[in-house]
Amino acid sequence: MSRPSIDLALRLDHRDVVAHVDGRALLIEAIRDLGARSARIGCLTGDCGACTVLLDGQPVKSCLVLAAAADGREVVTLEGSASAIAETVRRAFIAKKGFQCGYCTSGMILVAIDLLEAFATPTEADIRSAISGNLCRCTGYDDIVSAIADAAEQLSAKAATRESPEIF
Amino acid sequence: MIAHDFDYHAPRSLADALALLGQADAAVLGGGTWLVPNMTYGRQRPSAVVDIRRLGLDAIEIAGDIVVGAGVTYRQVLQSEALRAKLPLLAMMAGQVTGGPQIVGQATLGGSACYANPSSDVPACLVALDATLRLASRTGHREVKAADFYTGAFQTTRRPDEMLTHMVFAPPPGGAGCGYHKLKFSTGSWPIVTAACIAVAATDGGPRHRLAVGGANAVPVLLEIDGRDPDEAVAARLPSLISQEWSDEFAGAGYRRQVAPAIASRALRQARGAR
Ligand SMILES: Cc1cc2nc3c(=O)[nH]c(=O)nc-3n(C[C@@H](O)[C@@H](O)[C@H](O)COP(=O)(O)OP(=O)(O)OC[C@H]3O[C@@H](n4cnc5c(N)ncnc54)[C@H](O)[C@@H]3O)c2cc1C
Ligand code: FES
Ligand code: FES
Repeated sequence: MSRPSIDLALRLDHRDVVAHVDGRALLIEAIRDLGARSARIGCLTGDCGACTVLLDGQPVKSCLVLAAAADGREVVTLEGSASAIAETVRRAFIAKKGFQCGYCTSGMILVAIDLLEAFATPTEADIRSAISGNLCRCTGYDDIVSAIADAAEQLSAKAATRESPEIF
Repeated sequence: MIAHDFDYHAPRSLADALALLGQADAAVLGGGTWLVPNMTYGRQRPSAVVDIRRLGLDAIEIAGDIVVGAGVTYRQVLQSEALRAKLPLLAMMAGQVTGGPQIVGQATLGGSACYANPSSDVPACLVALDATLRLASRTGHREVKAADFYTGAFQTTRRPDEMLTHMVFAPPPGGAGCGYHKLKFSTGSWPIVTAACIAVAATDGGPRHRLAVGGANAVPVLLEIDGRDPDEAVAARLPSLISQEWSDEFAGAGYRRQVAPAIASRALRQARGAR
């Protein structure tokens, strides 16, 4: 049986894409089919955060968004996050062993990037609050928190060097 | 993938949205944090989804009355300094919503108001603040007091063809204090009982308190208490007002009725202290 499909035009990881998708699809399903595989499907209830992406710059759980509602909007997944903050957080997750199976990792890194873009010097409580919508089924929370704290420290150290007058 | 077929609409005018809502089985889409998973799991099967995001219902206006659009998210509440100053209770509530920054930025107050889940944070706050809800349909507009809106668990006086457009609040009198307290068993879990309180100084007989308890009953319970020792009044009156006690896998029959007065007293104390 043919299902009603919709035309979806969106900007996905800085590329314009036009696709014909099932009108019943969730955003997470549509973007994974379009190749953005870092975002994961976990619960489809909004609880686990594995499907986190940025929609028009805001972190969202993309299992709670209809694909049709993303028409004309911008989606950025971990694969499209290329800022200095993103790079530092990625490296800190590796250095601090902020993952085990890795299923939650892309969601965790995205909320961490979002946090560090807003607050350069988060407290541990800020970090725990930022990841409170993301579940790690391997339960490695302490290493995730220390990876984010480490990234924050590295970024502040870099910012301090940048601000020093000798640079100019 | 959602199992059933449906049409998605994101109209640009309220009139178009209301015309679509007039069709059988249409559902309003706010932030989707409830509606979408309910559709994914087949618990709600609307034939049409009417998205409010292009209707301009995401504004907070403060000019005398405080008018909060149905599409305002918890994040917008937290980010509006003007709203925080006028209605700190809403910000206290929004600051304790779980689900992470994603849910805080996605979910709307209007969605929570309309879903009428007994365990939600918003309904009792609307009752404590004596909010007026503006409902619109093809056939006209009407206003309902929050205390009259809730008729049962997941039930309100909203007709299926009506959309909540705004929540309207009179500014609490100067010097009013507020408190919000909730009991939950872990940081991220659903609240068992919530209590929202506004305390207003009175010239004689001590402060007046308007207290709404959520989570304990199928609908929010409202208590108005005067005087300097309101705890006794809460303990005496609240349990019997819980006429349809809510119970679920988190707390069985009798539990919420028993703990509600203690939670209510904490919100009362906070409201008096903050004044
Ligand atoms: C992980 C997670 C954590 C959560 N934590 C909390 C919490 O701590 N406290 C809490 O209270 N809630 C919590 N929630 C529930 C949260 O989804 C609601 O509080 C939220 O505000 C619902 O808003 P929404 O805009 O997403 O609703 P939607 O899903 O868009 O809509 C909910 C219902 O209301 C109807 N509706 C929506 N808008 C309107 C309107 N304008 N007019 C008429 N009908 C309308 C819809 O048709 C639907 O039936 C959580 C949810 C998740 C997934
Ligand atoms: S898959 Fe979206 S929150 Fe779990
Ligand atoms: S590393 Fe396995 S789920 Fe987090």
